[in-house]
Amino acid sequence: MIVRRAVDGIDERLGATSFVKRNLRKVFPDHWSFMLGELALYSFVLLILTGIFLSFFYVASSSETVYLGPYAPMHGQTVSQAYGSVLRLSFEVRAGLVMRQTHHWAALIFMASVVAHVVRVFFTGAFRKPREISWLIGIGLLIGGIAAGFSGYSLPDDLLSGTGLRIIYSAVLSIPLVGTWLAFLLFGGEFPSPELLPRLFVMHILLIPLALLSLLGAHLALVWHQTHTQFRGPGTTEDTVTGIPVWPRFALKGIGVALMTFAVIAMLGGLAQINPVWLYGPFVAYTAPAPAQPDFYVGWLEGLLRLWPNWEFTLFGRTVGELFLPAVVVPGIIFTALALWPFAEARVRRDTATHHYAQRPREAPVRSAVGAAGIAMFIVLMLAGSNDVLAKYLQIEVDTLNSVLLVLLFVLPVVVGLLTFWICRDLGRREVRPIEAPPRVALRRTADGGFEATHVPHGEREEAP
Amino acid sequence: MSPRRDTRVIERWIAICFAVSILAALGLFAVYAAGGQTQAEGALLALALGGVGVGLLLWAKRLMADIAHETQPRHRPPGAAELESAAEAIEDGVDEIRRRRFLTRMLIGAAGALGLAALFPIRSLGQAPGDSLLVTDWSPGARLVTADGEPVTVDTLETNSFITVFPDGFVGSADSQAVLIRVEPDQLQLPPDRAAAAPDGLVVYSKICTHAGCPLGLYLAATQELRCPCHQSTFDVLDGARPVYGPAPRPLPQLPIEIGDDGILRATGDFTEPVGPSFWDMPS
Amino acid sequence: MTTRAEARLLSKILRIGLLLAVLGQVAWSFRPTPNRALTDEERVGQELYQANCSTCHGLDGLGTDNGPSLAETGPAAVDFMLSTGRMPLANPADQPLRGEPKFSPGEIEAIAAYLAALVPGGEPIPAVDTSQGDLVRGAALFLENCAGCHGAGGSGDSVGGGQIAPSLTAADPVQIAEAIRVGPGVMPRFGPETLDQDDLDSIARYLVWIRSNADEGGAQLGRVGAVAEGLVAVVIGLGLLILILRLTGSKL
Repeated sequence: MIVRRAVDGIDERLGATSFVKRNLRKVFPDHWSFMLGELALYSFVLLILTGIFLSFFYVASSSETVYLGPYAPMHGQTVSQAYGSVLRLSFEVRAGLVMRQTHHWAALIFMASVVAHVVRVFFTGAFRKPREISWLIGIGLLIGGIAAGFSGYSLPDDLLSGTGLRIIYSAVLSIPLVGTWLAFLLFGGEFPSPELLPRLFVMHILLIPLALLSLLGAHLALVWHQTHTQFRGPGTTEDTVTGIPVWPRFALKGIGVALMTFAVIAMLGGLAQINPVWLYGPFVAYTAPAPAQPDFYVGWLEGLLRLWPNWEFTLFGRTVGELFLPAVVVPGIIFTALALWPFAEARVRRDTATHHYAQRPREAPVRSAVGAAGIAMFIVLMLAGSNDVLAKYLQIEVDTLNSVLLVLLFVLPVVVGLLTFWICRDLGRREVRPIEAPPRVALRRTADGGFEATHVPHGEREEAP
Repeated sequence: MSPRRDTRVIERWIAICFAVSILAALGLFAVYAAGGQTQAEGALLALALGGVGVGLLLWAKRLMADIAHETQPRHRPPGAAELESAAEAIEDGVDEIRRRRFLTRMLIGAAGALGLAALFPIRSLGQAPGDSLLVTDWSPGARLVTADGEPVTVDTLETNSFITVFPDGFVGSADSQAVLIRVEPDQLQLPPDRAAAAPDGLVVYSKICTHAGCPLGLYLAATQELRCPCHQSTFDVLDGARPVYGPAPRPLPQLPIEIGDDGILRATGDFTEPVGPSFWDMPS
Repeated sequence: MTTRAEARLLSKILRIGLLLAVLGQVAWSFRPTPNRALTDEERVGQELYQANCSTCHGLDGLGTDNGPSLAETGPAAVDFMLSTGRMPLANPADQPLRGEPKFSPGEIEAIAAYLAALVPGGEPIPAVDTSQGDLVRGAALFLENCAGCHGAGGSGDSVGGGQIAPSLTAADPVQIAEAIRVGPGVMPRFGPETLDQDDLDSIARYLVWIRSNADEGGAQLGRVGAVAEGLVAVVIGLGLLILILRLTGSKL
């Protein structure tokens, strides 16, 4: 009764009934790998919710103050207001620490699920026409996520994150022609500038979230409008989509997955310590801790910096700093290559058709090989970024490990790529797991003693006789 | 098991999940009222959220299994006629504007100029680099002091030891940070014009790594090397802090010092080169 | 009944033997020892030293091809190396790492006493009173001087050249002070002009304090930082969530 009245009321004002009805009945394929993007979405929601709480307590200022809170080793120390506010949030605000840690774990889970989602889209060819724009938006979300994470964990103004800021500052400095100007512009003067923290804060809670929300909105709208890809199966065609309707089943599943995402992140937020800034101490420019690593989604860049040789050269009598290639050019190439992949692949394959089927990796051996090689390279770089920690636990020399990783960086992707290519081609040929699942049949006894066979579509339960 | 009993079992499980969630939420309230405790808060939150989550997932997957898969048409691209009329509609508007050629050009000029002007406030965000990257707070006669502000004398350091130093009055200065090391005087292999700047085995180098700017923290006395914790650049202390391993391209700039009559160490000038990582207009 | 020739032979052997024994005693008396009589404790230390250490460090304590001279190292170094089980070191090429101490505290004292008599000099065992230390100053000093090798949480890190700055979670206050004064291995040393007695007390106090006090956030994950956190996020966090997705969604 209430629902009827609500529907009437909305339709009289918005004329939206048929729009709502059509969209609530829209179907979505429910393969589990299609929900990786949802993991990212729900982590993002949690980031915003916890972030709003944190923003009420954080003070974005480098001005000095004396910490007089309950954390004994810092009591009476001169720290920045930002650092002091984060200590206060961690030790004096009720639920402050669980909120802060949940926020940081959510960031890690967000980036991990974005990467998993990008990998899934890549290996299933879901970026092909007409979904190239979604792919581009997705790469934008990836880069925005890295920026959000980096700016976020630099806000507490602790010794570890401040060291990371210094490295980015040096990377910008190394850019030819405009490097020094750009660095002073972005960082508010020579490092460390008192203008840096307030600027990072604005980036982190306003500019980047606005950009991410806009991109995310467009991304979701496109998926909705273009309909989701699906794997081949019984009853599926290129021009139709088979799945479960949004209301009530898909919506309930979605809410359930959202709550489980929140639950897992909250569990980590309370039980696993992350970024204990009280141990790192306040940022001072003249000392750095070791081991010093950024969050894992920047770990590949750290690995590049550790492995890159000390080449420095002059151009027109000026210096091109050593950092320029590994910290600016190579990441630029990687993200550009990622962004342009759908267009490059379509050009190479001379494929201008629209595709709504998601492919299995074995259907595209070359793409899968390149993807696997890329992942192998990414993993080697991540290991290189943690080389000192690895060396300590494996009890080997760091310098030896570096040499091994440098060789692996070139050899492993080739090996993995070739292996992947051969496995895909082999599987594709042998149809070990057929792409179409065998039909399910229900047998029924007829009145005259014979048997009647009816085809039961997948996802439905057999009815009781 | 018949489908109906199957359903009952599942319903019971879902109800238990929701009940766990309610209890956890009550527990959360209690913990919070008692002052809060991070681990309890996290665990209870996880239970409260997960209870509903698991319940809903079970509901959607098992109790709604009879909501079958459906097939729907995807978005149908418009026919050629509609594409044609859409393109025409846009083109008609553009043509109408472009009829007035001169005004169109003026409009483009104005838009361009306005766009450029809108970029100007960006300049306010930064300062001109000037010579900030070329000078530090060191000057001739500046006393070396520790992070506590204590003047460093010729007796402060033992051999194979190191200490962070700043110019007097600029303790904590980011670009002036330096590291004073004491080695056996005959071990130093500095070129002759720089050897005098490191009296009695006391040598001062910039503490800022020339790779990416991290402060060098590791002094390996046994091998007389300075190592950076960030990316393992290693410098030879005895040979003018020449890089011997890692991604650092340039040696650490040296700070020339002298031992005053009062035993206090003083700088005789700024660093021999710009400190920190390289940049475009760095004088070579 | 022996013949006269045999008796003469026997007496010759005995006389040569007596000569050798006397010469041997004389030679033995010229082995390196302090220029005075050893106390009982030093005698015990001498036996232990000669049995366990002299193959590498020399009977005179001045080193061999396998081990460095112990001159000027002092009781602090001896106590540090022995009480942390770093010495005796089976393979001279390895970096000495913490392990089960081979000797009891009494035996270590004896060895230290003997070496103090054999090769005098070097750092005495520092006195440490953590209750006199200032936690805040200890934190500041640790972060400035030690965290660059040992980690902000004292978890240790590799420092290149195959060497490791070890984890500090097991060291007792005296061992911490000894390491600071002595600078074992590649570690630099900090004399009284750089870190005075109050500083030692404070650093020791801080290190002991953070062992059981700085983990409000939960499991400390080895205090290694972003590497462990990333691993947990991907393997446990994303892993759990993917498991949930596979249980929830359909498979091919």
